[in-house]
Amino acid sequence: MLKIFAAVAASLAVMAASAIGTPASAQDRTVKITGFGAKSGVVRVFGVNSEAALKAAAEEINKAGGVTLGDGAKAKLTIEFLDDRCNAEEGISVVRRIASTDAFVAVGPTCSNVAESLFGILQKKVGDASDTGLQFPIIADVAAKGGLAKISEWSFRNVPSEFEMYKSLFAWLKTQHPTLKTIYGGVEKDFAHSNATFGVMKAQAEANGLQVVGQSEWLLADTTFSTQIREMKRANPDIVAISAHPFTTCGALKEMERQGVKPKLLIGLTSSSSIETLQGCAKQAEGIIIPTSFAPVTPEAQKAAEQVAKFGGSADLHSAAAYEIVYILKDVIESQKIMAKPDTVAADRVKMREGLAALKETKGLLGKVGRTSDREAIKPFLYVHAKDGSWQVLYKPAS
Amino acid sequence: MDLLIDTVQSIADGVLFGATYALLGIGFTLVFGVMHKLNLSYAAASIGAAYASLLILAGIKAPPPLVFLLPAICGGLIGGMVYLIAFRFIPLANPLATLMSTVGLLLLIDEIIVHTTAGVPLAYPALFSDVIIQAGPFNLRGDLMFVFLLGCLCMVLLLLLLYRTKLGLATRAVSQQPTAAELCGISIGRVNGLTFVITGVVGGIAGAMTGAAIGMLSPLLSLPLTVKGLIVTVIGGLGSIPGAIVAGLLVGGLENLFQFFRGVSERDLYVMLLLFVFLVFCPGGLFAPSAGRD
Repeated sequence: MLKIFAAVAASLAVMAASAIGTPASAQDRTVKITGFGAKSGVVRVFGVNSEAALKAAAEEINKAGGVTLGDGAKAKLTIEFLDDRCNAEEGISVVRRIASTDAFVAVGPTCSNVAESLFGILQKKVGDASDTGLQFPIIADVAAKGGLAKISEWSFRNVPSEFEMYKSLFAWLKTQHPTLKTIYGGVEKDFAHSNATFGVMKAQAEANGLQVVGQSEWLLADTTFSTQIREMKRANPDIVAISAHPFTTCGALKEMERQGVKPKLLIGLTSSSSIETLQGCAKQAEGIIIPTSFAPVTPEAQKAAEQVAKFGGSADLHSAAAYEIVYILKDVIESQKIMAKPDTVAADRVKMREGLAALKETKGLLGKVGRTSDREAIKPFLYVHAKDGSWQVLYKPAS
Repeated sequence: MDLLIDTVQSIADGVLFGATYALLGIGFTLVFGVMHKLNLSYAAASIGAAYASLLILAGIKAPPPLVFLLPAICGGLIGGMVYLIAFRFIPLANPLATLMSTVGLLLLIDEIIVHTTAGVPLAYPALFSDVIIQAGPFNLRGDLMFVFLLGCLCMVLLLLLLYRTKLGLATRAVSQQPTAAELCGISIGRVNGLTFVITGVVGGIAGAMTGAAIGMLSPLLSLPLTVKGLIVTVIGGLGSIPGAIVAGLLVGGLENLFQFFRGVSERDLYVMLLLFVFLVFCPGGLFAPSAGRD
């Protein structure tokens, strides 16, 4: 009798333990999202901000219960971030490394030159058996050069369309400042993003009736701008548009101040609407107008900015995109019933790609984000201007 | 007429900015003069010293002299560390060993700066930035003229140090006859170490002046300044302090002239071509020192 009682007690104990164990093991399921980008070199700040944004969003999702997998289990998101040094070869190597794991998606990269090469090693057209390219979905948060997602059906982006932003900005300027007739450009010639965006600025300026009276060129690490700014001064333009990153934007603005070049209006590159520009040359940048897809103007955006700061980053148009991506991935994991198991990796990658490709709209920090058939985002944006040492919203175009 | 004015103004701007190259060239050339070694981490250490001063003074409203004195002190300390890490325990007989160790240190210093500041450019206090001297149709930047005068002052002080002090005598002895100097009781390690501290001080000043001239510091500066410093050292004559000053101004002037006539994409091409011309036709540089090591 005692033996029977002991056996029953032991069975009950085992059952109780397994009953307690079941939810515990579900809690232990994790989905690792791997981000990659520049975390060394002069663009390190982009990687730092992206990583912080990914972690901030993941923490919020985890606090709310995590993500529901295809088998109904709940899983927590974990973030890993790898450094590609803004170098194409290293970017490809990093992604090959990620693809050799159980990961079913990666978020990155920072630099357009990396994205351009990297998307080139992915399978161009899904289902093309003759194409042995990597079948692994990647969604970019920062790389901003236009049209990059077209390269492969496995590549996606959640970056703002600079074409749309500058098209809108120049059209708005035409209505607000009809007396301004001429524009002069300054471009950082050796940086893919600056160079490509300058082409957009120039085309949109001309399309809106502005006469381009010249352009000056410099390199990313240049320290003197006297020759270029002298040419600018001679052209005496109404508007100066600078397509360069903060270091040389500030260098050029300081030289403009030195030479007494005072255009009626200043326009800057999207990436310069950051704290770096204000740290470097707040006084000289006063008044510069920049279109951006992020500003803490909605409760969601304010909360995101606070969360990102907690993780040691700063929310800007690039890191905000990373933040949004984590929510996009959560939705796709749930809608596509991704299993996130080692034996379902290939199927999960296909599901993730299909899920991302099927998206018509996603939730963004400034409002709804449209998705195009070539896997790009149509993000809401606004114009900010530097005023009294901070970025302030100048105008929000109707979306 | 406009072309002539622009040409002269371009040269003048370049010559004045070349003063920062000259300051860096002095440091490169002094180490080479004493040890017959190239310290490729010198420009990065100079920028590092200026960064260090900014970080130390972060949040403190320090008086301008302190802002510019601190980089010199930081530069001296970093110079001493560079000697200990990249020279002191490295076999000096192998010329490649120290070359590689200083390349490694260049990258290390750069990454330390990047990791400390996330690569973000930091504003550097400008000195005399609002002073513009009008000379007819030409404008001359007051801050760069100050850098030029500072470079000349550094040159005079270093020459006085080398030719009027016991340390200078010991330095020259180690440079010319290391074995004999050692037999006379001069500690070669101490002299070499002090040389690095002194060049570090000059480097700290150079870093601060470069930051002040640009108005910002960025890790982007290390590599181009290393290249410019080396070109200046070769053109000026390896080991020649006056040569470094003249070559710094020359390279700055020509660089701007090339940019004016050929554009930014070809500018560096011509500067490198200038270096090759010197290496082929005038390998000793403008002021090649006559005396050499036994």
